[in-house]
Amino acid sequence: MTGIEAINVYCGLARLPVPALFAGRGLDPARLDHLMMTERSVGLPCEDPVSNAVNAARPVVDALSPEERDSIELLVTSSESGIDYSKSIASYVHAYLGLGRNCRVMEVKQACYAATGVLQLAAGYLASGVSPGARALVIATDVSMADARAGYAEPATGHGAAALLIGPDARVLELDPGAFGLYSYETLDSARPEPDRDIADVDASLFAYLDCLSRSFADYRSRVADADWHTTFTRLALHTPFAGLVKAGHRKLTRELTGAGPDAVAADFAERVAPSLHYPSRVGNLCSGSVYLALCSLIDHLPPGAPPQRIGLFSYGSGCASEFFSGLVGEGARQALAPARIGERLAARVPIGFDEYTDLLAGNSRCLLPVADRDIDLAPYERFLTADPGRGRLLVHRGTKNYHRTYEWV
Amino acid sequence: MPHNVADPAGAAREELAALVRDTVRAILPTVPAASVTGDKHLKELGADSVDRVEIILTLIERLGIAEPMARFAELPDIDALVDFLAGAERR
Repeated sequence: MTGIEAINVYCGLARLPVPALFAGRGLDPARLDHLMMTERSVGLPCEDPVSNAVNAARPVVDALSPEERDSIELLVTSSESGIDYSKSIASYVHAYLGLGRNCRVMEVKQACYAATGVLQLAAGYLASGVSPGARALVIATDVSMADARAGYAEPATGHGAAALLIGPDARVLELDPGAFGLYSYETLDSARPEPDRDIADVDASLFAYLDCLSRSFADYRSRVADADWHTTFTRLALHTPFAGLVKAGHRKLTRELTGAGPDAVAADFAERVAPSLHYPSRVGNLCSGSVYLALCSLIDHLPPGAPPQRIGLFSYGSGCASEFFSGLVGEGARQALAPARIGERLAARVPIGFDEYTDLLAGNSRCLLPVADRDIDLAPYERFLTADPGRGRLLVHRGTKNYHRTYEWV
Repeated sequence: MPHNVADPAGAAREELAALVRDTVRAILPTVPAASVTGDKHLKELGADSVDRVEIILTLIERLGIAEPMARFAELPDIDALVDFLAGAERR
C-alpha cells in the first residue's frame, strides 16, 4: 500500500536551552510549564532551506539503489522560507541529491500545512497506477526568522527539515486511503510578509489551530465509518508549534467527544500523545515538517514489540489550511527509522548560550534576503561542523554568485 | 427595587460577567477578584496563551456556545468578551 517508505529529519547543528533563552530575553519563567519546551534547534548562517532539505533527504536517498533513486519522479519542497520569487528550493535540492532528470520538480507553500497536502497528492498520484513503480520525495524545509519581536514564540521556533519518501512499500506509515478530513478558510493569524520578519497574532493562531482540529476531525468522521477519537487511533501525532498547544488540543477534543474528566484526559494524553512530543520539545516548531518530526518521535518511542497500530495525524498551516488523516504504523517501522539515529543526532547538536545565539541571529536574518553576491566564511562555524563525527556528509551554504546560491559538501 | 427585576437583560449580563470572573480566577487562582475588571484583556491579568485557551474553552463548554474559537481572538477586553457571550449562538 502507498505511504511513507522512509523518513528522516535534519534539525541543525546547534541547540539552545529554552530556560537560557527565557532568562536572556527576560521572559516569565512561570510560562515554561505551558510551553513544554526544553531546548530548541538554532540555525547557522551557513545553513539555509536548501541545505536543510538536502541534509534531511541525503540519508534517505543514499540508502536507495540506483534504480530506486531513478524511480523518484516527483520532488516537491514545501517551505515558508522561499529563496526566490521564481526559482524553487527544489531545483537546488534536485541537483545536490543527484536525482534523475526525468523528474517533476517544484515547490509548494501553505505555511505549516503544505507538506501534508503534497503527501496526499503524491500518494494519490502514485496509487493511480499511471506510472507503476514510481516514488515521490517530499521535503518540508525552513529556517527561523524569530527573534525578540516574536515574544514567547521565539523559544518554540525550530530549525530544519523533514524528508519523506513516498512509495508502494510503506514501511514507516501506510496511509489509510480515503481517510482524511479537511478544514480551511482565510485568516491572517501568522505570516512572513518580509524575508526577515515573521508576524503573528497568538490568539488568532492558537484558536484557529484548535477550531481546525475539531472541524477537520469532524470532516474525517463524516468520511470514515465508525471513526472514534478515543478508540480508532492507538496513538496521535499532531502539528506541534509547541507541545503545550498539542496538549490543549488533545484536551479540547477529548472533552468534546468523550466527556472525559481531567484524570482520564491526562492518562489518555500520556498514553497516546506524549510519545510524539519528545523530539518536538527538543527542536521547536519545524513548520510543515513539524507533524513528521512528531511522527518520528512517536515511532522511536514505541515500546519494543509494539503491534501494528493506527495513528491519527493532524496538520495545520496558518492562513489557514488543515487536515486530519490516518495511517498504519507497522511492526517494522521502528526498525526502519532506527538507522536515522534521530535521538543521538539531536543530542550531538552543540549547546550554545544566549549571547552566542543572538550573535548567530544577526547572520541568520540575512538568509532569505536577495543579495547578488555574497561569501559565507565557514571558519566561525567550524566547531559545529566537526562536533558529530558520525554525521556523514553535510551540505553547507557558501553564499551567492550573481544570485545563484552556492553550496559545498563538508 | 432590585436591579434584576427592573432590568432582566442587565441581570443576565451580570450573571455572565460573574461566570467570566469565576472562570478567570479558577484558571488564574493568584489573581485577586478585584483585578478582574471589564476594561482588561486576559493578557493583562497574566494569562498566557494556554491559560487563555483554557478560559475560553471553559466558557464555551459551560454556556454551550456554538461559535468558533477564532471569533474570541478579536475581543479587546473582558467587557467585549461578556457582550460577545451574551449574543453568541448556542448549541
